[in-house]
Amino acid sequence: MLKKILILFLLAGVGLIFFDLFQSYQSASELTTTAKYYADNGAKEVGAANLVSAIVVTYRGLDTLGEVSILFVTAAIISFVLKHKPEEEDKNRVIKPASEILNTATVFLTPVMIMVGIYIFINGHLTPGGGFQGGAVIASAVLLIFLANPKFHLNHSIIAFVESISGVAFVVVGALGLIMAGGFLDNRILGLGEFGTLFSAGALPIIYIFIGLKVGAELSNIVGILAQEQNIKN
Amino acid sequence: MVAPIYIIAIALGLAFTMGLFGKQLKNIAGVLFIAGLGSLTFISGQWLWNFMVNSAATEIIYTAGFKPPFAIVLQMGFEEAVLTTMINVAGLLGALYLFPLLDKKGNNAMMVYLIFIMSTNVAVMTSDIFNLFVFTEVESIALAGLILLTGQSKAFQAGMKYLIVSGISSGLLLLGIIFAYQFSGSLTIIDMINANLWAVKASSIAAFLLIVAFIIEMKPFPANGWGIDVYTAAHPGIGAMVSAAGASASLYVFYKVMPLVNGNDWYYFIALIGAITFVGSNLVATRQENPNRLLGYSSIGQVGFLMMILGLQDVLGERTLIISFSILISHYAAKAGLFWISGILNAENIKDWSALRKNPILLFLFGAFLFALIGFPPFPSFFGKWELIMTLSQTGNYSWIVVILVASFIEGIYLFRWLGYAIKLDHAQLPAFKTPWYQLIPIMSMGLILFGMSAYLTHVFNFGPAINYIPLLFVLAIFAIDFLPAYIKNTVSIAGIAYYTYYLWPSLENDLLRQIFIGIFLGGAILTLVAGYAKKGTRAGFYPMALMMFAGLVGLIEAKSMLQFFFNWELMTAGSYFLIIRGKRSMPHAYSYILFSIAGAYAILMGFGLAYGSQLNGNLDALSQISLLPALAYSLLAVGFMTKTASLGLHIWLPGAHGEAESDVSPMVSAILLKAGVFGLILLFLSIGVDNPNATTLLYVLGWVGALTTLIGNMGAVFQEDAKRLLAYSSIGQLGYILFAFTFMTHMGWLAGFTYTINHFMFKAILFLVIGGIVVKLGTHNMYEMGGMIKKMPFSFIAVLISIIVIGGIPPLSGFAGKWLFYNAVIEKGWYFQGAIIFFAGIVAFLYLFKLIYSVFLGQLKDNHRNVKEISAWILIPSYILIIGIMIFSAFPQYILQPISDMIAPHFQSETITWTGSLATTSLGYWDATTIMIVVGTAFMLLLGWLIWLSAKAQKVEQFNIVFAAERPFRPETTHVSYNIYAGYQKALGWIVAPGITNFWNTMSTNLLEFAGWTRRIYSGSIQNYTLHVILFIVVFYLISIGGL
Amino acid sequence: MEYIILITGLALILMGLYGIMYIKNIFRIVIAFALFDTGINIVMVTIGYLRNGMAPILDKMPTEGTTPAIVDPVPQALVLTSIVIGLGVSALMLTYVLKLYEDKKSLDINSFKDLKW
Repeated sequence: MLKKILILFLLAGVGLIFFDLFQSYQSASELTTTAKYYADNGAKEVGAANLVSAIVVTYRGLDTLGEVSILFVTAAIISFVLKHKPEEEDKNRVIKPASEILNTATVFLTPVMIMVGIYIFINGHLTPGGGFQGGAVIASAVLLIFLANPKFHLNHSIIAFVESISGVAFVVVGALGLIMAGGFLDNRILGLGEFGTLFSAGALPIIYIFIGLKVGAELSNIVGILAQEQNIKN
Repeated sequence: MVAPIYIIAIALGLAFTMGLFGKQLKNIAGVLFIAGLGSLTFISGQWLWNFMVNSAATEIIYTAGFKPPFAIVLQMGFEEAVLTTMINVAGLLGALYLFPLLDKKGNNAMMVYLIFIMSTNVAVMTSDIFNLFVFTEVESIALAGLILLTGQSKAFQAGMKYLIVSGISSGLLLLGIIFAYQFSGSLTIIDMINANLWAVKASSIAAFLLIVAFIIEMKPFPANGWGIDVYTAAHPGIGAMVSAAGASASLYVFYKVMPLVNGNDWYYFIALIGAITFVGSNLVATRQENPNRLLGYSSIGQVGFLMMILGLQDVLGERTLIISFSILISHYAAKAGLFWISGILNAENIKDWSALRKNPILLFLFGAFLFALIGFPPFPSFFGKWELIMTLSQTGNYSWIVVILVASFIEGIYLFRWLGYAIKLDHAQLPAFKTPWYQLIPIMSMGLILFGMSAYLTHVFNFGPAINYIPLLFVLAIFAIDFLPAYIKNTVSIAGIAYYTYYLWPSLENDLLRQIFIGIFLGGAILTLVAGYAKKGTRAGFYPMALMMFAGLVGLIEAKSMLQFFFNWELMTAGSYFLIIRGKRSMPHAYSYILFSIAGAYAILMGFGLAYGSQLNGNLDALSQISLLPALAYSLLAVGFMTKTASLGLHIWLPGAHGEAESDVSPMVSAILLKAGVFGLILLFLSIGVDNPNATTLLYVLGWVGALTTLIGNMGAVFQEDAKRLLAYSSIGQLGYILFAFTFMTHMGWLAGFTYTINHFMFKAILFLVIGGIVVKLGTHNMYEMGGMIKKMPFSFIAVLISIIVIGGIPPLSGFAGKWLFYNAVIEKGWYFQGAIIFFAGIVAFLYLFKLIYSVFLGQLKDNHRNVKEISAWILIPSYILIIGIMIFSAFPQYILQPISDMIAPHFQSETITWTGSLATTSLGYWDATTIMIVVGTAFMLLLGWLIWLSAKAQKVEQFNIVFAAERPFRPETTHVSYNIYAGYQKALGWIVAPGITNFWNTMSTNLLEFAGWTRRIYSGSIQNYTLHVILFIVVFYLISIGGL
Repeated sequence: MEYIILITGLALILMGLYGIMYIKNIFRIVIAFALFDTGINIVMVTIGYLRNGMAPILDKMPTEGTTPAIVDPVPQALVLTSIVIGLGVSALMLTYVLKLYEDKKSLDINSFKDLKW
């Protein structure tokens, strides 16, 4: 009880901070210096219609590299923490079969979802979306498979291969920017192309494809490992 | 030059590639892993080299080819080069250390490790606040994974706590970033700083959120339970990374973002939070017995200390960086090394670290790391702390000094307890451990870094000229030949000291004070070392430590500046600590010795600080003109020196330390070491001068302390059954005389003081040498188990007899000179009451002297001692040399006392003594030592001759053995006449020496530990409580800093 | 409008904090943490909002001297990063919960107090 009062009291304290923050908040009436620069020059410099993508992949590409590393590290940690030998698996576990609807939906939807995911990251520089979003959609396709068949085995070596290759490719493209253009992750190693078309924005779509593959592989991997955990003998 | 961006490219490229290697190619992955870390080290190292040698300009790395603030920019300047090199070196060594574990866990573990190191690098280099957020987040997630390497349940608990709290703090950081972005229109740190966020309340909240998030990351007390658990649960190899690499990086990051809240009281708050953390963590650590958790508390305490220094940067000015670096680098090397040693021992309790004795290299490094943490010379932290205290004092920030010194002392409480356990704790069976090469190399490398940085920083601080390298190099040389037999090292040491005395002597011309003390220190060193020939074997570690103590003592003599003095004072303390702890049962005594010593050293340091602040002059003569809090400064200095002279209240360490020490160490630490305190007091009193209004009370009080010390010391000696403890208490009493005499601040008083000093040096050396030799020979300390040694050990008997005649102050020996001068001085000064106490104490002295000589040499020879022979000639030789000294001093005191008289005459206008040949005259009377010697000597010889003539007719009687008279008594001591011989006196006066003072200190320490035990209950282990602490911390900090409280 | 969203975000943060500090079930604590994270993300997006601004996706190359009427793209880019990080943290936390449950067969937060003092 005492603890509850203390918690409420503390939340009131945090609330006070938020109240002060809220009270002094004024919604912006114009773009900040940085945002204005992006609005004015982003399309010209990076060649991407989607300014958010331009920022994410090029201007603040290093952040994205960090982001990718976070997913990568998370997947690596989860796999070394939850790694099990095949013999630890409970082969005889009886599972209630998934419903007809789920099974059918899985068969039909999985390819479509993967297609959509790929579409999202290929067009990341033009439309809302990008590598992370596309990768997440692909991973949800994998999740769907696991929902329908909990004993499904993901081929980890293929996933690891995709993950590694796309990760290395991301770094290599970044390093090419250092050598051939203005700096690490500069997308102007390729021509900027015609604004608003698929082949534009230099290396940006290429990076987004790698990110999409990598994120898709990593998230699928995480889903796979977590799903497998239920099959382990206790 | 390889561009710094390749740190990221290589590390990430490698980490991503490693996924390709399956189990079959695991070895390649391992090689690539180490090679990758090596190349990171190379890149940052070459930049560091570039900055240091070519003084290159700061390199700005534009990513994506656009200017900031529109793209992320990294920076590689001198500071970044230093920090990244530190991180990568620790990363490389740590990887080597952890390699088998990482290898076992597979490629994934290596990838995580690599990314941890990479992200720490980027956090240091980046100039963009959001990028900083991303990479600190990468770092903490990678760390959350590395914690799990042990796979234990507690690691998961710790990891969960860590994830939740760091998640909350990064959430707040994000809030701060986004609001700060709205106000400044930029995401680079520098733009945000220039936007003066603190100027308006709205944006100051954003700045608050930013700063508080970074503070939480540094684990402020008490909102840090989650951080400590990480240290406890993670593999020590990971603990080393968090403490060395992680903490260094987060401190630097904090330093980068701090200006966000510049311009108001926030720096002060930051310093305060740091100070609370420094004190609180160390306090709680005093109750800790798990080595990793202990190191965790210590790490957090050190980070708090550094946070405090950064918070005080307005006060410290341009010295901030170099001071914090010197403390950081000590922490870095020491903590990494200690965690790694902990990993090798794999012990749950610090008591099990006694196993470390099996590996001398590790034990040595362990000691070095601990001393570096405390801030002993020659380690960087010593210089850092010195600069810090001096600068703070100069700017009048005394309360900060007190905080620093108190916290450092508390740190000493647990670190030295630990060191004592490792060196000395009795352990039935030392746990076995293995030291593979790949774990030894990183630890040794950190040791090298520590010593290398010590040398380098000495140079940077320009303290080089202040240090006398010759004795230190000699100590190192002796250390290098430590494997040789004792007699060789003994000879080399004696030769070295003799040569150094010869070399030093000319420079001390016309400085009698220093000549006297060099005679005591180095002459004493040679004589006591001669006794060392009696020892067999290698005596591993003895000679370097003894010489370190003597090097410190010599340094005190040579010191011109306060820094030199303090440096050597600490050197001497360290050396003597290791000498004292060599005794069989010395662990607790050495512990209390070192605690009193560091407390005393800190008192001296603060006194020096006040002197420096007054005069802005580092020379010792600044002591004579202290204008800042002079009374306090003089008192602090006096108390500091009195911890070494073991004056009343500060004496409780001495009986055990001296009594339990090895037979030739006792004379070193008693006859010689105590005089360091006397030397300090003399310098202090000379600086104070006569009639200094700021020290009148002090001197008066010290006079009383001296008188009472004499009484208590002598009374304590009377009731001892242990021969060496009796001598130890006698030392306390004698040092009381010396203190008392010097506080007179008169000519006669000082003359008496010098006479006592010289006498005590000679007779206490003889007594401890001889009695020590007898104790070893008979295998017991207890006097009631001795007896009848006069026939077995006639030479020892004569040596002891002469010594006690000197102590008793009986004519014709030099003790009488002391007494005569002393009573002259007392009458002249008019301190009759104190004089009466001293007089009474003098009578008491006879009691213990009688007990000593009677129960050891006279009486019945014990049955088991029938075949005992005289003690070693190597002990008798120095004793008899000293006896010759006593004889000369007794017969011709004028040759020493007259020059002393001339030397002190300019300092005191008071009445002097007139010398006519050997005839000394004062207004109260006269005394002629030579004549007395002749008269008494003749009378003695006549009596002796008569006795010998009589003894020819004496009838010899065999010894009557009481054992055959009846049953052997259950407690043999009760049948010994000298056992509890003064029971009657004890009944009447024993209350005076009742262990009131020991009880006082015991109560103090118990209360402190109780308090620590009570405080640490906040670390209840509950995730939610820790979250609560963090939120509470944030709310309170907010209310104080902005909320208007 | 943006004020309401801002309040929603801040309220979510408070609710998340309450959950983290009060709920006993460790699995739900992870959910509460996700709530906290979502609150942060909502606040971030709100900050970039500009009245009458369009989504920062241009349909044509802006002409010199005119700035397209879009909302601030920077917070949107940042929030993307923040979401991904939050995802990683949540996944990691769930793994921890799995292991903790495996070890103690309990989801009560009070059963994980092995480390203290």
